[in-house]
Amino acid sequence: MEPREIIRRALEEGRSKLLEHEAYELVGSYNIPVPKAYLAKTPEEAGKLAEKIGYPIVLKIVSPDISHKSDVGGVILDLNSKEEVVEAAKKIFDNVSKKAPNARIAGVLVQEMVPYGLEVIVGGLRDGIFGSVVMFGIGGIFVELLRDVSFRIAPISEEEALEMINEIKASKLLEGYRGQPPIDKKALAKIIVNVGELLEENPEIQSIDLNPIMAYSSGAKVADARIIIKTK
Amino acid sequence: MLDKFFNPRSVAIIGATPKEGKVGRVLVENFIRRFKGKIYPVNPGYDEILGLKCYRSVKEIPDEVDLAVIAIPAPKVPQVMHEIGEKGIKAVIIISGGFRETGTEEGARLEDEVKKISKEYGIRVIGPNCIGIYDNWSGVDTYFLPDNKMMRPPRGYISFISQSGAFASALLDWMAYHKIGVSRAISYGNKIDVDDIDLLEFLGEDDKTKVIFMYLEGLKKGRGRLFIKKAREIARKKPIVIYKAGKTERGGLAAASHTAALAGNYQLYVAAIRQAGLIEAKSFDEIMDLSKVLLTQPLMKGRKVYVVTDAGGVGVMLTDALASEGFILPRTPPDLKEELRKHLPPHCIVENPIDLTGDTDDERYILVLEKLLPREDVDATVVVALPQVPGIKGKVAEYLIEAKEKYKKPLISVLIGSVEAEKFKNVLENNGIPVFESPERAAKALAALYRYSKFRGVAKD
Repeated sequence: MEPREIIRRALEEGRSKLLEHEAYELVGSYNIPVPKAYLAKTPEEAGKLAEKIGYPIVLKIVSPDISHKSDVGGVILDLNSKEEVVEAAKKIFDNVSKKAPNARIAGVLVQEMVPYGLEVIVGGLRDGIFGSVVMFGIGGIFVELLRDVSFRIAPISEEEALEMINEIKASKLLEGYRGQPPIDKKALAKIIVNVGELLEENPEIQSIDLNPIMAYSSGAKVADARIIIKTK
Repeated sequence: MLDKFFNPRSVAIIGATPKEGKVGRVLVENFIRRFKGKIYPVNPGYDEILGLKCYRSVKEIPDEVDLAVIAIPAPKVPQVMHEIGEKGIKAVIIISGGFRETGTEEGARLEDEVKKISKEYGIRVIGPNCIGIYDNWSGVDTYFLPDNKMMRPPRGYISFISQSGAFASALLDWMAYHKIGVSRAISYGNKIDVDDIDLLEFLGEDDKTKVIFMYLEGLKKGRGRLFIKKAREIARKKPIVIYKAGKTERGGLAAASHTAALAGNYQLYVAAIRQAGLIEAKSFDEIMDLSKVLLTQPLMKGRKVYVVTDAGGVGVMLTDALASEGFILPRTPPDLKEELRKHLPPHCIVENPIDLTGDTDDERYILVLEKLLPREDVDATVVVALPQVPGIKGKVAEYLIEAKEKYKKPLISVLIGSVEAEKFKNVLENNGIPVFESPERAAKALAALYRYSKFRGVAKD
């Protein structure tokens, strides 16, 4: 689907948040590496899709009404066979129907499990004064605690994106800490540049969190995406 | 485009009055004292004000008028704006308050009306609710604070744009007291028309402005990107020092994402400041520290700094301060060391910081600096010459002034003391060598010069 189409449909349905597979699709269309992921309506379908993707697999509940998926038992990691996937999908539907009985359920996301790397965040925001703003920082669940982030106003050049990466206090972590190989900063810089472009070309987007992005010594991949759009 | 505000041939002062203590009186006095063009007081109640013929309306003024200054109650401003438009005046400074800043509907309505009229006639407006312009070259002075309350600074090449009128006048007074030269100082109040970007562009082109300082609380909606673009163009020609006020987080916003939760107003300005190549002053002290170094010093080629001192302690303090700002204090190279050893008494320390010790005299400084300053591997020098030392009589000051011209490299000084230090400082500062009492402040100011040199492509590493 075209990026415009994804946003248009969400707006039509009065949703201010893109579903996770929609967010991946949108982000992926801007040359940002995202995991293979498909939406399954039933446990059986989930099993079939898992075969298509390969293992290990992560399952996540997809609902416009649930923003903290793990809190309702809506995420199961590291599934290694079709049987495991089917079982896990059943369990997720069951968990969610108990813990969030009123939530609308779109299905379950069958996603390639992104290998662990250094967790970083690239975020985007629309600001009244500056327009499209992009953020970079150390990611994961401690983002708001550490507040170790840097910003630039889009459009952002690759050089500026590298500056953003080097500007955070923990930038040494990316240089290869304790014998780890250094992180591929260029791959991260490209994501930053592309998030800027994504914001510039889609004015309906209010904010984006790509958190975490797993960063490796070669390349990087988004492991979770959240996109908020403006509903009128 | 804004030239009529700064270099008018004639000015009409609407709301001029002979009454002591009134804004309209101070304005007339200011212009009489400093302005070289024609002055036309306007007030229907008088035939003459302070010896000048007074007009009932701008329309009655027989000649062309370049600039109008308005200091009458807000409700009367729209009517006067119509008359100004009909008269064909294209530049107006509205001093009067009582507009949107009051938070009332009536205030906002009046402001919108004034804006509409100005668009209709093509009038450029500074204000309303502002203190306007102090121009040290043309004598335009709408700072309605009398000379005995606010000193006027000497002529110079620092210009500033301030979102706060009160801060602008306090700063002007402070600069006057510290004999720091000012070119043009503007405060624009509610900025219904002329804003930071327009003024930056004007000062960017202005050959009487060598350093621009901005005090900014916030830009107008949607102007952020243009601000970055224009500021970057100007920063390639001359340094812009900016103080962003309002650094604390915007509270109470329920953020829908991590990014929104972390993107405080100030963080975005910091990003914009970096992208535009501006130099951020983070405190009041830094505003003038940075401005004076950027005004007087040539750009730096690298980060290698040498310290020459007569006080070991201050040398160590400076080493710490410079290193924490990212400077390198190289070990004195062997050839220079050998050279210095030959000429200096054995108790002097030839390692950087080079310590000439308490029994030094002017000649010892001159000898060392004359060997140090011309070297390719010296990017900047900080001279500590504590004047409590009996051997220092003043010749080193003369030498430093000459050396600055001769070697064209950053040269600043740290002096700590009382009356003697103050005298020494005045001699140096009057001749373009910035002097600091605090090693930390000296290091921060030099770091700003380095950052700017990097932005300009002169410093490479």
